[in-house]
Amino acid sequence: MAILFTLAWRNLWRNKRRTLITVSSVLFTYLLAVALLSFMGGFQEQLTESMIRQDTGYLQVQDAIYLDEPSMDHIFEYGEEVREALAHFEDEIQYTVPRIRGFSLAAKEMSTRPAMVNGIVPEQEDQLRDLSGNMVQGEMFGQDDEYAVVGAGLADLLSLGIGDTLVLIGQGFQAVSATGKFSVGGIIEFSIPEQNNTMVYLPLEVAQWYFAAGNRLTNLLIMTDGKDQIHQLAAHIQEKLDEEWYAVRTWEEIVPDMVELMEMQRLVYSLITWVFYIIVGFGIFGTILTMLYERMREFGILLSLGMKRYKLAMVTLIETVIIGLLGVITGITAGIPLVYIFHRFPIRLSGGMADYMHSFGMEPAFRFIMSPGIFMTQGIIVFVITLFIGLYSMRKIFVMDVLGATRS
Amino acid sequence: MKTVIKTNGLSKTYTNTAVPVEALKDISLEFKEGEFTAIVGPSGSGKTTFLNVIGGLDKPTKGNVIIDDVDIASMKESQMFDFRLKHIGFVFQAYNLIPVLTATENVSFIMLLQKRPKEEMNKRAKEMLEQVGLSDKLDVRPNKLSGGQQQRVAVARALASRPDFVLADEPTANLDTESAFNLLDIMARLNKEENITLIFSTHDQRVIDRARRVITLVDGAVDKDEAFDRD
Repeated sequence: MAILFTLAWRNLWRNKRRTLITVSSVLFTYLLAVALLSFMGGFQEQLTESMIRQDTGYLQVQDAIYLDEPSMDHIFEYGEEVREALAHFEDEIQYTVPRIRGFSLAAKEMSTRPAMVNGIVPEQEDQLRDLSGNMVQGEMFGQDDEYAVVGAGLADLLSLGIGDTLVLIGQGFQAVSATGKFSVGGIIEFSIPEQNNTMVYLPLEVAQWYFAAGNRLTNLLIMTDGKDQIHQLAAHIQEKLDEEWYAVRTWEEIVPDMVELMEMQRLVYSLITWVFYIIVGFGIFGTILTMLYERMREFGILLSLGMKRYKLAMVTLIETVIIGLLGVITGITAGIPLVYIFHRFPIRLSGGMADYMHSFGMEPAFRFIMSPGIFMTQGIIVFVITLFIGLYSMRKIFVMDVLGATRS
Repeated sequence: MKTVIKTNGLSKTYTNTAVPVEALKDISLEFKEGEFTAIVGPSGSGKTTFLNVIGGLDKPTKGNVIIDDVDIASMKESQMFDFRLKHIGFVFQAYNLIPVLTATENVSFIMLLQKRPKEEMNKRAKEMLEQVGLSDKLDVRPNKLSGGQQQRVAVARALASRPDFVLADEPTANLDTESAFNLLDIMARLNKEENITLIFSTHDQRVIDRARRVITLVDGAVDKDEAFDRD
């Protein structure tokens, strides 16, 4: 075996420049693929994190059919059963954020606008996403307050100012007519226009009273240390709750469109990396083919001398594998610091692009993800491609006409 | 003397040409142990085809080749690889050393494939390179050797594993006069010392003058089979 490796290794360095160019092409393709996927992974992580923080949480307790029919008729009782169920998992759960939310009409004098009325506990919302940090006028209500905080866009549309009266008309629990008159105590600004133009916040208990919902919630957000164990945790919490009335949903179940979109994005990026691989694959294939054909006579001689075909085939396979391995190893060596730099020091955006990302509640920067999985998977893909090319050269050796080769 | 190779009614016809070519016609010959034979004849007379067939590189259309009581013409390819490795040494016109191996490694190569012990291999390779006058080129790669030196390494490689016989296809064709004489001296000496059967195809008169047996082929058939006393 040692002689086969020696032959392969020395053969590769017979034409140093060609070998180095081929190894470099593997290296740069690997780097491109890793960089592209780390960028995509980072972007998707930002997107997910932003959505979890802004909207869904990692998990939610909901009414059993709220996901399919999100209306005030399908809200759940936030009582002892839920609290006791969650108490079993206090080590896994960081905190919870209760919400009740429903559409209403917001009116001031002769103007009306659609509004999303949110009943919240400000301290818990702030823990999740620093909601109070968006206040532009007045202040966020406290536990004993009863006033409303209105989105800046809605306030403009209805000409609402601090101290003005906001009238809300909607539908409460079990078709009860929800009506309420609230003083505006604060104005809050969001970069997403849809939020800015529709959001009305009320203290949770006030909103529950407005919707005639008692102690019911539309969603109870559950925050954990991360998203690794959420499926397991969701299943365990669900076991403690009556599934006829309660459902524990993961963020993926709540926003399947987003998950599909990210899946599609992953697919597109994978296709792009495969295009790279096909190009570099043909590059390696060309080199291996050249190396093969320019040594046909030599191979014929070796076989004439009594070297077995499989041993000679192994030499060509080892040559290909060495090219692939050198490309991947140098790729990993260069890729880790490269990705780390963009992970640690993300590409900062400015201008319209930054505003656009900000409007989705995302940091206006592209931060690469540091994922061993990406390095490993791409390495394996390159290795398999080179192995595949190596198999072609092996096949050539197996079908080679020895006499014809010695005369070539 | 023991018969090393025996051919019976050996014929070879190439049919993959526009008109079938009869390269060998009914050749029946015997080669004894320690013989120094030259196969001569004009270009296209079948010298190389004959060597290829008795070397197991090509199959005869008719007839058989008996080596060591075995008809190699009926062997499978995989058996033939083993047989060549154990019994036959080759010297080619264009030297055909392995360019990435040193002189010692080239000479050891066959023994390495035969899985001989490393120490024996190294000792024998050095011994053979000394015998061909290249003891100062042990670690030199072929591209740093002259044509004559490369062919001497090729001879050392062919003989190192002590095969039953060595087939040499026009070994002096690419060599200048001095190198050719030098090589022939070495081969003649090794033929005697190692008692290895040498069969050359050649139309080089210098080789013919050294051979103790000269077989002339014309149009694929044996025209003359002459013995000479060169001592």
